[in-house]
Amino acid sequence: MKIRNRVGLGKIQLDMTPMIDVVFQLMIFFMCTLKVTEPEGDFDISMPLGAAAPSADTEAQLPPFKVRMIADAEGDLGSLSFNGVNLGGGAQAFAKLNSEVFRAINALKAIGPDQQEKQEVEIDPDYNLHYRNIINAIGSCSGRMGPNGIPVRYISKIKFAPRREP
Amino acid sequence: MKFKPANVAPPELDMTPMIDIVFQLITFFMVINKFDQAEADERVTLPKDQLAVPPAVHRKDSFLLNFGYLRDQKGNLTNPEPFFFFGDEQVPLAQVRQRLRQEAQFYQTIGTDMKEVVVEIRADADVKSGMVQELIQMCQEDGIGFQRFALKATQKMIE
Repeated sequence: MKIRNRVGLGKIQLDMTPMIDVVFQLMIFFMCTLKVTEPEGDFDISMPLGAAAPSADTEAQLPPFKVRMIADAEGDLGSLSFNGVNLGGGAQAFAKLNSEVFRAINALKAIGPDQQEKQEVEIDPDYNLHYRNIINAIGSCSGRMGPNGIPVRYISKIKFAPRREP
Repeated sequence: MKFKPANVAPPELDMTPMIDIVFQLITFFMVINKFDQAEADERVTLPKDQLAVPPAVHRKDSFLLNFGYLRDQKGNLTNPEPFFFFGDEQVPLAQVRQRLRQEAQFYQTIGTDMKEVVVEIRADADVKSGMVQELIQMCQEDGIGFQRFALKATQKMIE
């Protein structure tokens, strides 16, 4: 007959130290790495095929705001114009563009409450223009950052004009 | 009179916590590194903008294209021509059409509506704008048929 030895059977003690160590390590790691790299965002954009044919949404609406961007020999922004009005070059041009779009949006609101949502911007850059200028122009047309860090949106429909030859 | 305790056992170092931590961190970094390689390519220096915020709704079907330059450690260009980075493979703009076609075929095979697929373009800040337009044109060609595009940028923090 088999007799079990019941002597010496104690409670198994779980050592929590490793788990706590790991949790604290990971927590410190995530805290340290938070926002070390700037987060990525994006802008939706469209590009009509071939010659610009008005889409159903924009038909019988106001024509798109036109942003023409001319590159200098280095590929930087030489000059920028908004609806034919020259806003100059360099970083100041984007601030002016932002103000002009804001002014135009206010004029649209006077026409109708939903005009702002329907309005499009057409960006027409030179082939050699550095891509960073496109993003700056799209950002300037999209809106501005409010004082409390919440973006104020101007225009969300942004499209490219047909590509210019190099 | 002072007595010394007899047979003092040497203290035992429990290595389990350290091993746990090391393995956890190694696993974590391995997973993160693979994820990064599959998505964003660090060779691409994105332009910055304050309003470049991540999309509010997670995109179900999206396809990322990294388009940038090869640079040395100091950041100088080693090749004036930009490339698309697919892992370790570098494809120039003139030859990317085949890749786009393959991606489009993949989405068509699994029955995804091409109107739902967003092509996310991570282009270097110094790339020529016309090349990005050319890429979008290629994406819209017959036999490829992507229709939605998003231009990636780094979110510029408020100073």
